[in-house]
Amino acid sequence: MASAKNRLAGEDAIAAGRGLDGLNLFVANIQTGFGPFISVYLTTKGWTQTGIGLALSLGTIAAMASQIPAGALVDAIPSKALVALLSILAFTASALLFALWPTPLWVYAAEVLHGFSSCTLGPAIAAMSLAVVGSGLLGPRLGRNARFASIGNGVAAALMGLCGYYVSPQAVFFLTAAMTLPAVASLVPLRRLPDPARMTDPCGTGRPARPRTPLRRLLTNRALLIFAGCAMLFTLGNAALLPLAGNTLTKEAGRLASLLIAGCIIVPQLVVAVISPAVGEFAEQRGRRLVLFIGLCTLPLRGLLFAVMANPAALVLIQALDGIAAACLGILVPLVVSDIAGNTGRYNLSLGFVGLAIGVGATISTSLGGRVADAFGAPVAFASLGAVGLMAALLALWAMPETGGHRPQNALPGDGASEARRSSLHWDRKT
Amino acid sequence: MSANALRAGGLVLLGAIAAAGAGTLAVAQEQPASPAAPVAQPSAEKPKVNPQIPENVEPLPASEATGVLGKKVRGPNGEDLGLIVDVLVDAHGLPRAAVIDFGGFLGVGSRKVAIDWQALNFSPGGRTSTLELSLDRAQIQAAPEYKADSPTAQMVVAPPALSPPDGQK
Repeated sequence: MASAKNRLAGEDAIAAGRGLDGLNLFVANIQTGFGPFISVYLTTKGWTQTGIGLALSLGTIAAMASQIPAGALVDAIPSKALVALLSILAFTASALLFALWPTPLWVYAAEVLHGFSSCTLGPAIAAMSLAVVGSGLLGPRLGRNARFASIGNGVAAALMGLCGYYVSPQAVFFLTAAMTLPAVASLVPLRRLPDPARMTDPCGTGRPARPRTPLRRLLTNRALLIFAGCAMLFTLGNAALLPLAGNTLTKEAGRLASLLIAGCIIVPQLVVAVISPAVGEFAEQRGRRLVLFIGLCTLPLRGLLFAVMANPAALVLIQALDGIAAACLGILVPLVVSDIAGNTGRYNLSLGFVGLAIGVGATISTSLGGRVADAFGAPVAFASLGAVGLMAALLALWAMPETGGHRPQNALPGDGASEARRSSLHWDRKT
Repeated sequence: MSANALRAGGLVLLGAIAAAGAGTLAVAQEQPASPAAPVAQPSAEKPKVNPQIPENVEPLPASEATGVLGKKVRGPNGEDLGLIVDVLVDAHGLPRAAVIDFGGFLGVGSRKVAIDWQALNFSPGGRTSTLELSLDRAQIQAAPEYKADSPTAQMVVAPPALSPPDGQK
């Protein structure tokens, strides 16, 4: 009864689910507008390479530095819909700044704004998903989130490619700003969601919400550290693969190169859209460890295939593996962190911690991949990035504990073994 | 460290002179920023006619000189070959090569390639947003990537005018 009061029911729950669908769809649209394209855009505005490099580094640093503080901020604000609203409006402002005033001061401001809001929006969406469905059904919900996000990403990449080519690079940013309107509209059914940290135990056991777990205890949690390590190693091997593959295509694929690169971007999105709900369900049924291991194993395989395959069209097909990894990791990050820290009052901060690990991996990856490719050629770079992925998979295999398995049907009351396993992982519930 | 420097001093000096002579000095990072600055600042200063022009200023119409950073480059068949991102000048400040950002999709997978300045065609009087290149896609795509920190850049040169590469324009 106590938990029913907190949870949405009936039509409200359906509306909230639709809201999450729309939010993921349009937010992906917004986020795709930034990234490598900024460098093309600023070049058309007469920026020097040095200036562009500075602006992009500033954005990266802002995003990394704000991961953990932004997470703490989201934890402290009860209404996650408000957080999402402010983050989306920051994206709107950032896109408009890029489009209207591509001069250093405003571009730097836009980069910092975008860096910070990307750190608040992701955790806010994850927290709202947790509030809508509770932790027992979070896997499938996150699978659905990933499906809509990847549809949004794929459509956005195609739209923005067309827009940039046929209209103007500037128009891409106006399109991005326009996309924030439906994203805001999607928040309407989510505005009255309870804060998961202030709800009763999301497992529905009726235990009351606890005061926040001490920070030190959370950040020394073995499962969280190992998971963050896996995510960092994965991104370290993964982030440079697509740019390097694109570079190879530009060199070898002739007239079709740009189209094939577009394929390399869109194929993984298609795969994510198709398999995500099943992956979320699978993570709920068979455990997170297996999904993590499968996702991480695709990276060494992809690195190896990239290294040995010379046919440009084959690269596009191999990118399907990227979709499998993206679906697995995209669902597991919010899911595993929810297992570990879902009701500690530090969910968003913990997501920020994993986000920081991913950011560090991505930053090192591009320069590492580029350097290895310059010195030893692209095939060696592909193989080495794949080797980093293999390390991530081995780390998961040896050290990552299963964090799931707290579903009511898996953990019957009085089942001693499962109770012991739960309390060793969910320390927050024990004390 | 200092012993090394002493021993290698002569060589380093020679190398520096050779590099300067070869014109691969990549001073372009700051230099072209000034001609391109008017492009970057939209309309704020251009239309303003200053009534008190100092004596050391003379007019330079846009039809005579414009910035090139960010200009689109097209091949002989009108195909899009990318954007000019840098200009390499020699020790006399004369342009030797343009660095173009070639290919890619939404900024992913593009490559920077240095192109012989002579291969660029500038239409006199035309203040167009695109420049024409006498090289086509096939001649550029296999070129080594331009690295700002490499001691010797490889630039793509136009084939000798007397013998077109494959007989077709």
